[in-house]
Amino acid sequence: MELGLLALGAGLAVGLTAIGTGYAQARIGSAGIGAIAEKPEVAGRVILLVAIPETMIILGFAVAAMIILLLGGG
Amino acid sequence: MIVPMAKVQIIGHLRCLDETLQQLYQLRLVHIIEHGPQAGAALRTATLGAERLKEQETLRYLRARLEAVLQLLPPRAGPAQPAEPPTVFSAEEIEALRAEIETITPRLEALVQQMDALRQEQATLPRYAQSIQRLLPLVPTLAQPQRFETVALLLNRRHARVLELLSEDLTALMGQRFVITSAPVDGDTLGAVLVFPRRYSAQVHALLGRERVSEVRLPPSLADMPLSRALATIEQRLHQIPAELAAAEAELDALTAPHRERWAAASRYIADRLNQLNAVRLLGATEHTFVLVGWVPRQEVPRLQALLAERVGPAVVCHELPLSEEDRSQAPVLLQNPPPARPYEFLVRLLSLPRYGTIDPTLLMSLFLPLFFGITLGDVAYGLALIGIALLLRRRLGGSSATWRDLSHVLLMGGAWSVVFGFVYGELLGNLGHQLGMHPLWLNREEALQPLLLFSVAIGVGHVTLGLLLGVWVAWRERHRHALLEKVGLLVALMGLFLMAAQVIGRLPRGFFTPGLAALVVGLVLLIRSMGALGLLMAPLEVLSTVGNMLSYLRIAAIGLSSVYLARVANEMVGALGPLWLGVLVAVFFHALNVALGAFSPTIHSLRLHYVEFFGKFYQEGGRPYEPFGAASP
Repeated sequence: MELGLLALGAGLAVGLTAIGTGYAQARIGSAGIGAIAEKPEVAGRVILLVAIPETMIILGFAVAAMIILLLGGG
Repeated sequence: MIVPMAKVQIIGHLRCLDETLQQLYQLRLVHIIEHGPQAGAALRTATLGAERLKEQETLRYLRARLEAVLQLLPPRAGPAQPAEPPTVFSAEEIEALRAEIETITPRLEALVQQMDALRQEQATLPRYAQSIQRLLPLVPTLAQPQRFETVALLLNRRHARVLELLSEDLTALMGQRFVITSAPVDGDTLGAVLVFPRRYSAQVHALLGRERVSEVRLPPSLADMPLSRALATIEQRLHQIPAELAAAEAELDALTAPHRERWAAASRYIADRLNQLNAVRLLGATEHTFVLVGWVPRQEVPRLQALLAERVGPAVVCHELPLSEEDRSQAPVLLQNPPPARPYEFLVRLLSLPRYGTIDPTLLMSLFLPLFFGITLGDVAYGLALIGIALLLRRRLGGSSATWRDLSHVLLMGGAWSVVFGFVYGELLGNLGHQLGMHPLWLNREEALQPLLLFSVAIGVGHVTLGLLLGVWVAWRERHRHALLEKVGLLVALMGLFLMAAQVIGRLPRGFFTPGLAALVVGLVLLIRSMGALGLLMAPLEVLSTVGNMLSYLRIAAIGLSSVYLARVANEMVGALGPLWLGVLVAVFFHALNVALGAFSPTIHSLRLHYVEFFGKFYQEGGRPYEPFGAASP
């Protein structure tokens, strides 16, 4: 039972942050493509901006890994 | 690296201006900057004199005419003229060229129009012939054809009822004095021919227009003929057109062949000369001299001086100006890197050029980007597949596009590191390597999750710290005290934080906690000092966000693991899906998907780690590109 709750917690840590990242990237991405259509030279900066929210899911992954490794006994 | 630039001033007698501009244009070395008004100096902005203005006007006119004429000409089939066309045109030659173009153009335009009309006829006549051939069997033989008019119609067979309605309308119009016959001409089309007395012509055409029944309209030259004669005429015409076309082409070739190369050369000369004339307004001038100021790569200054002295003579002098701080901030940026690192310049430019006097990260990127790629993907088979794809891309597209060549190089290096790390992790098509007896040189990613995560965070700590050290160096060179304090403070605070953390998890012996805490406090104080009043709030946030940057390198482990698991799923498909062939097919599909993701995802994430986490610590964008005065393609 406890292991199941840990797995659920780890899943939520990744899943919820993935939703957050996806939402942010969708908004930034659509605006970014619009910007690239107007000014192709901003492509690099748009990649950078789209990539910024990924930190959320990476931190979610870090939390999930900690739940499994530290609490789940490896 | 960013090529060191020198600011040079070229002063000469006005009579040498044209020659100097021409030589500089050929050399393609000097990035000319606008000569602003200088207080106290007798310099004004140079202007084109009346003579040069007239030349500019003539050249602009001739350029437009030449471009129009050259566009009219079809691509040349035969070999180019053996004689080299001239590269420089004198004023008299330009005048002669203008007269020549004006004489030839009317005939040329007429010929091109004639050829266009012939080609159009050649394309459309067979379509008329086809329609007529289908309708011809329907046409009744008439005793007095001149009294009757024949109209041909083509209808969709689904609309056959239209003909009945049309018959009713026509009967109402002229009683029984018409004949309408119809027959299917192919699967979907119904052909119909309507014959009626010519005096009803206007009313019948109006009726057809009103009912929106489309007639088969013949070109005006065939409109009044009976269909059988029209068909014969079309066939005869189709027979004649190739000969007429060939004659027109031959005349066009005879008319233009002797001039073609010279016109193209003149067009190039005119474009160059106009660029040179346009550059004059960037210069300063006194009554008898001109002054040109520009940027030149420092190592090229002696060559520029020698070439000007040799080709223009002693009436022009070129010397290097001392650089002020303001000058340095405005110098243009030219990146120069060893050949293996050059493809990565494209990726740096994708963001923005670095400012002059700061660091060009291309070389560092060429080391770290493929390495991160390899650590992320880490599979012998996938690495080899990517090497293959990169080589194929280079061969297919590398010749025509520099961007593809650069990208294929990046992919090639990433693939090579993936092979290396494939051996390190013992992976070949995911866990297939383990099953075949391949042993990891260091760690098995599937089992050793904790060391893998620690490894990727350690890479982050190293990379971000390197970025901060470079930031310290840039701040030191730029004598930017606040930035220097900020970077040093951040480094000290992070060092303190890591000492404390290592002590807490028992990786360091006791006694490191207090020095760690002291370092953290000192670092924070330095940070707050550099940020001013807001620093109280921002300094701890800055430390935390830098720790976040380091944790961001966990993506190296995360994306790598997702690739490993996808490969494992693919391998388990074999045998799990009933027949072996189906399992193998699905497995191949999943592995192919993994290779495609493997080419894309690690590149994007390695790029992001560079752009956001690494560059953020030292990179100063906003450099102006070095654009030497000269033809666009030397």
